[in-house]
Amino acid sequence: MQRDTFSSFHPFINLLYFACIIGCSIIFLHPITIGISLLFGILYTFYLYGRRAVRGICGMLLPMCLLAAILNPAFNHAGATILCYLPSGNPLTLESLYYGAASSAMLGAAVLWFFCFSAVMTTDKFVYLFGRAAPSLSLLLSMTLRFLPRFQAQFSAIRAAQHGINRDINDEKGIKRIRNAVTIFSIAVTWALEHAVETADAMKSRGYGLPHRSSFSIYRFDSRDKGMLAFLVYSIVMILIGAYRRCFYFRYYPTVKAADITVEFIFCQLLFLALCAIPLAVDLWEDRTWRHLRSNL
Amino acid sequence: MKKYLKIIIPIAAVILVLAAAFYFGGNSPNASGWKIPDKKQSAEIDPTDVSSPLQDKYLTDPVPEGKPKPVEPQDIEISDKAYTCTMSISCAAILDNMEYCDPEKIELVPADGWLLAPQSVTFYDGESVFDVLQRVCRDSGIPMEFVNTPIYNSAYIEGIGNLYEFDVGELSGWMYAVNGWFPNYGCSRYSLKDGDVVTWQYTCDLGADIGGGFGVGE
Repeated sequence: MQRDTFSSFHPFINLLYFACIIGCSIIFLHPITIGISLLFGILYTFYLYGRRAVRGICGMLLPMCLLAAILNPAFNHAGATILCYLPSGNPLTLESLYYGAASSAMLGAAVLWFFCFSAVMTTDKFVYLFGRAAPSLSLLLSMTLRFLPRFQAQFSAIRAAQHGINRDINDEKGIKRIRNAVTIFSIAVTWALEHAVETADAMKSRGYGLPHRSSFSIYRFDSRDKGMLAFLVYSIVMILIGAYRRCFYFRYYPTVKAADITVEFIFCQLLFLALCAIPLAVDLWEDRTWRHLRSNL
Repeated sequence: MKKYLKIIIPIAAVILVLAAAFYFGGNSPNASGWKIPDKKQSAEIDPTDVSSPLQDKYLTDPVPEGKPKPVEPQDIEISDKAYTCTMSISCAAILDNMEYCDPEKIELVPADGWLLAPQSVTFYDGESVFDVLQRVCRDSGIPMEFVNTPIYNSAYIEGIGNLYEFDVGELSGWMYAVNGWFPNYGCSRYSLKDGDVVTWQYTCDLGADIGGGFGVGE
């Protein structure tokens, strides 16, 4: 992963930012809003994950979105513009195609922002934010989030060890092959359960969750965070007012109808664009400063 | 007294919420207000009794004397013999209940309520009300959505002209009547006869506002 400056903000700012962006992306179905969210979701995912993002997006996200876009007109027949009739006898409407495309783009944008969320909101930030309020829940969450990568690593270690005594899955054939697979799986599951109990015990013996117990954290709410918080609160309030004044209004059924393009509408969309662009802007600005300083040396 | 305040306040809050919910009743015409259900009427229909021996295998109650029995669409052969019937599609009931109408759908309701004024339609011997509705809607470009429900062996009309069930309160939807009678079975199982008058009507109150529904269509 590249050095991401946005991650160095206070965890509360990170959490608020992602809650706001993902919430807006899911609630507002205006094509322009979805487009902005999707575009910056893709750009930020690329910035965070680099080339690994291509495989994730093309291999998993794109087929999922295409499927969602195709499934909507197959099951939803509302809309005033009939294109043709499906073999089932129900009409295929233009509006259901539009809605399918919009909702699948919304789905894609939300998933992309969640990718970014999981890269930025590391488990230590999670425990820092919720450790005091809900100790057992945040420990459980952080353990669960950490579980999959750890399990994968441990699984390959077990396989390597078994391969050393000629008992890997591919070392034998037929019934024995299945037996080896089951053994490896059993070892891995036993390890996972034992590890979970051990972690919980270790945390308990260190006094995790006890009252008056403080824990070390490297996070400080500095002036940069204050500025960002002010901007976030300002844009959330403005977007909520805009939503109340129907700036994000877009109707798909029975006929497509959009919000009027007014100064308010343009302001709200630009504000949302600015909100989506924050992490990239912060990162690129920091990269520029860094290069600038280095070239002066 | 102060000791019991912790118990009294939540109980009072629960009672208030329940009273408000009971008063509100639901998002449909005549649902709000203090009402005690009429015991006589509710005794006639027992919704829990789904396995009555009098019902046929598609859960249809006995058809009243003198009314056509349901036929199964899969058993019927459609011949070339052409007849005519009269068909109309009306949503006039919405005009009286505009305050419950989905704001996005108001523009779809015609001023006089007719989506399709009564007109003479040609059909072929053996065709059901559903077949004719589907053809009429296709020919006149009215969007119509249905779903086949196997347990009733019939199509269920979800929406005509983009006016869908539940668009005007939670008791709204499409109903059909043939020669003034609201059949107690689905439209795919009603085999039409020459000269029948089919009316499709939008109801906002489970049929009570258009003269059909439970216990009214006898």
